[in-house]
Amino acid sequence: MTIAENLPKALVIDDAEENALPPVEPTVPAGKWIKENLFSSVGSGILTLVASAIAVLAFRALLNFAFHNSARNWAGVPTNIRLMMTQAYPDSQYVRIWVSVGIIMVLAGLTLGVSPHRPVVALRKILSSMAAIGVTLAVGALLIKNNIQTDEAGEFIRDEDAEVLRVSWGEALSGRWWVFACAAVLVGVATIAWFALGDRRRFIFFPFVGWVYFLMGLVVCSLWVVPYGHYALVDGAFIAEKGVTVKNSTQLPWTVMWVLLGVSFYVGRLGLRHIKRASAFLYLLWLLSPYVIIFVILRDPALDYAHVWSTDVPMFLGFAVIGGAVLWLLTRPNLGEPGKILASFLLVVAIFNWVAGFFGWYPMLQKARLSFLLLALFALAASNFAGERKIRMGYVGAWVATMAILHYLVTMVNTAATVESNDFIGGFLLTLVLTVFGLTLSFPIGVLFALARTSTLPIFRLLSTLFIEVSRGIPLITVLFFFATVIPLFLPEGMEITKIAAAVVALVLFSGAYVAENIRGGLQSVRRGQFEAADALGLSTVQRVGLIVMPQALRVSIPPLVGQAIATYKETSLIAIIGLFDFLLIANTVIPAQGEFRGQRFEPLLFVCAIYWIGAYTMSRYSRNIEQRLGVGTR
Amino acid sequence: MSISDATTAVSAELAARDDMIVCEGVDKWYGDFQALKGVTATVKEREVVVVLGPSGSGKSTWIRCINRLEVHQGGRIIVDEVELTNDTRNIETIRSEVGMVFQGFNLFPHLTVLDNITLAPRWVRKQPRGDADAKAMELLERVGIPEQAEKFPGQLSGGQQQRVAIARSLAMEPKIMLFDEPTSALDPEMISEVLDVMKDLARGGMTMMVVTHEMGFAREVADRIIFMESGEIVEVGTPEHFFTNPTEDRTKLFLSQIL
Repeated sequence: MTIAENLPKALVIDDAEENALPPVEPTVPAGKWIKENLFSSVGSGILTLVASAIAVLAFRALLNFAFHNSARNWAGVPTNIRLMMTQAYPDSQYVRIWVSVGIIMVLAGLTLGVSPHRPVVALRKILSSMAAIGVTLAVGALLIKNNIQTDEAGEFIRDEDAEVLRVSWGEALSGRWWVFACAAVLVGVATIAWFALGDRRRFIFFPFVGWVYFLMGLVVCSLWVVPYGHYALVDGAFIAEKGVTVKNSTQLPWTVMWVLLGVSFYVGRLGLRHIKRASAFLYLLWLLSPYVIIFVILRDPALDYAHVWSTDVPMFLGFAVIGGAVLWLLTRPNLGEPGKILASFLLVVAIFNWVAGFFGWYPMLQKARLSFLLLALFALAASNFAGERKIRMGYVGAWVATMAILHYLVTMVNTAATVESNDFIGGFLLTLVLTVFGLTLSFPIGVLFALARTSTLPIFRLLSTLFIEVSRGIPLITVLFFFATVIPLFLPEGMEITKIAAAVVALVLFSGAYVAENIRGGLQSVRRGQFEAADALGLSTVQRVGLIVMPQALRVSIPPLVGQAIATYKETSLIAIIGLFDFLLIANTVIPAQGEFRGQRFEPLLFVCAIYWIGAYTMSRYSRNIEQRLGVGTR
Repeated sequence: MSISDATTAVSAELAARDDMIVCEGVDKWYGDFQALKGVTATVKEREVVVVLGPSGSGKSTWIRCINRLEVHQGGRIIVDEVELTNDTRNIETIRSEVGMVFQGFNLFPHLTVLDNITLAPRWVRKQPRGDADAKAMELLERVGIPEQAEKFPGQLSGGQQQRVAIARSLAMEPKIMLFDEPTSALDPEMISEVLDVMKDLARGGMTMMVVTHEMGFAREVADRIIFMESGEIVEVGTPEHFFTNPTEDRTKLFLSQIL
C-alpha cells in the first residue's frame, strides 16, 4: 500500500486501491521460461524453430506484399477515403454525416460515463506494448525487400519498364531511417520508464477509457499536422495536393467529434450517473438511434413537411393516445370478460380492414391498417400485464414506442426520393446501414420464429420450420437477387421498394432464420424443470416465456448470436451483386478504374480487410465482455 | 384392488373436514405403459398425507397430475371444488392455489432469491413490489435464510435452495402444498433443515401432500400414509397402523426392505 500512496494521486485510480496490492506472481527468469516453454525437448525445439521460421517468412511476405515500394502505391486509399466511406454523398449535404457521427459520439460518451464498469490498463502493459511495437517496426524494416526502381539520377520512380536495382543493405536501411528512429524512441522510452519506475510500475493503472481517448487525441492532432489524403500524379510521382487533402475536410469535424466524446463522457460521469435508470434510458436511445440517424442521412432535402404535419404526426398521435388509453383500460386488474370481448372486437375490426382493403371497399392508409392490427394484438396480450401501475405504464409505453417507430419508419420510407439515385448512399456507410438494420430487425424476427418453432401449436411449428429451412437452404445471393428483381414485379401499383430496402428485407429474413435457430438452441438448453416451476406458480404462457425461459435462453445463445452478427456484417458485402456500391465494390472496381490509380486493387482491398476485421473483432470482444458480466454469480 | 376397512378408516374429526383434493379413478398412460391405474383418494383440509412406495410406483406422476404438470386421461381430479379439465382458466386457478416443491428445486437461476420469491406474487397476483418484497422477506425469515435474499440460487447450498423453493411456493399463499421428493437431491446433512421447515408448515395447519422416502418424517408428521405400488393405491392408514400393523403383503415387503 505504501508504494501506491507515494505516487501522485492522479496516476492511481480507486479500483487499484480497492484491489490493494494483489499477490505478485513470481517472475520466471527469461532463460528458464524459454527452456521450459519452447525447448523442453528435442522435438519441441525443432518445432519451435520451424514454426518461428515460417512465421518470420510469412511476416516478411506480408510486408513485401503490403509495402514494397516498387509494387505498392498506398496513395489511392487516402485519396479515395471519402469515396469508400460514403461514396458520392453530396458535399453540400455532408454536414448530415457529421451530425450522425456526432449523435453516436455523444451517446457513446454518455454510456461510457454512466457505466459502473471502469476497466483499467496497467502501465506495465502499456510499456511492454510500446516496446513490442518498436521491435516489430524495426524487424519489419529489416525484413522488407531491398530492390527498388530508380532512374538514372537515382530517384525512385514508378515505371514498369524501369530497371530493377538491388541496392545494398546499408543503403536500403538508411532509406528507412525514420522507421528505426520511431522504433528506437518507442523502445527507449519504454525501457527507461520500465527501469526508472522499478517496482512501482506494477501499481500504476490508467483508466482504459482515458487511455483510448488519449490515443484517439493523438490521431486527431496528427490530422492538423500531417497532410493525409488527396494525392495527385505529378511528373510520375504522387504528391499531396494542397487544399483538397483529406486533412482539410476532416480535421475540424473530427476534432469536434473528439471534444464531443470527452464532454459527453464527463456529463455522463458527473451528472447523468446519479439519475435513476439513466443507463436503461441510454440503451433505449441506442436502440432508437439507427432510426434517427438513417433519417438524418437519407432525408430528402425537399421533404414534404406539410404532409408530415397534416397526416403523419396527427395519425401517430391519434393511435398513440387512443390506443394507449384503450390499453390502459385493458390492463386494469381483474377486468375479466369485458376486456377479452373488447380485444376480440378490435381484432375483428383489424382483420376487416385488411379484407376491405383487398376488395377496395373504403380507402385507408396502409399504416393505419398496420397500426390497428398491432393495437388488436397488444390488446389481446394486455391481460398478462395487468397489475400495478408501473407495469401498466410500461405496457402503454411499449405501445407508444412501437407506434412511434412504425410511423417514423413509414414516413421515412415514403421519402424514398432521396435514395432513388444509388449514388446518394454507398461505401462503408451503406455497409453500416445494412448491418445495423439487418441485426436489430432480424433479432426480434428470430425470437418470434424460434418461439413459433418450439410452440405446441402445430400450425406455428409448421410455418416456422418451413420458413427457417427454406431460408437456410437458399444462398443469400439468390435471396438478394430475388428481392431486388422479382419482388418489385409483384408489388401493388404505385408502391415501390428501393434496392436498399429490398436488401435490408432480404438480409433480415435470411439472418432471421439463423438467429431463430441459435435462439432455439438456447431454448432447448433451458431445463424442463424451469417450465414446470413457472407453470406450478401459475404464470401464463407469455409470462413464462418472457420472464423465465427467454432470459435464460438468450444468455446461452450469446456466442452463436454474435457469430451470426459477425457473419451478417460480412455478408452485407454481397449486395454488390445487385448493383449497390458498398465499399468492397468501390475498392475492387471503382478505384482500380481511376486514371491515377489504374489497376491498383490490392491496396484498397487490404484496407477493406482491415476495416472489416476491426469491426468483427470489436463485436467479438464485446460479446466476451457481456458473457463474463452475465456469467458472474448467476450460474 | 382390495383395501381393507381398517386401512381406510379415518378419525371422525378428519372425515368431517372439507375435501381439498378428490381423486376418482385417475388413469394415466405413457404410451402403452399405464402409470396410474384408477387411483382414488381424498385429502382433507389441514391434512398431511405422505405418499410412499417403491420407485416407479407412480407417486410422482400422481402428485404432478394434481396441478396438471401431467395430464390424466381417465377419472376425475377435483381440487378445492374446481375440477381439472382442459379449461385453461381452471388450470390457472388451481395452480395459483396449489404450491409445488420439486426434487430438483427448479429455482430460476437468472433471478436473485428475492426476485424468485416475488415473481409470481407480482405477475400473477398483481401485488405491488413493495408488498411482495416485504412478504418475501417475512417468508425468508420463516425458512431461516433472510440474509441470502440478494444472492443468486447458484450461490446457495442445496438445502438453502430447497428452502427458498418452499418460500417461493408459500409466497402465493396456497391452500395446498405438494412436495415431490423434496429431500432426495440433498446431501444427508441438509435434509433435516428442509424437513424442519416442512414440519413447521404442517403444524401451522397447511394441507400437504408429500412424496418422500423419509420414514421418520412420515411417522412423525403424517395424518395418513398412502402406500402405492405399480400405479395403484395398496394401503391407506395412519402412521401407527402403517408402521406397526400393515395388512397388505406388499406393504410388509416394502417396509422390510427399507427399515
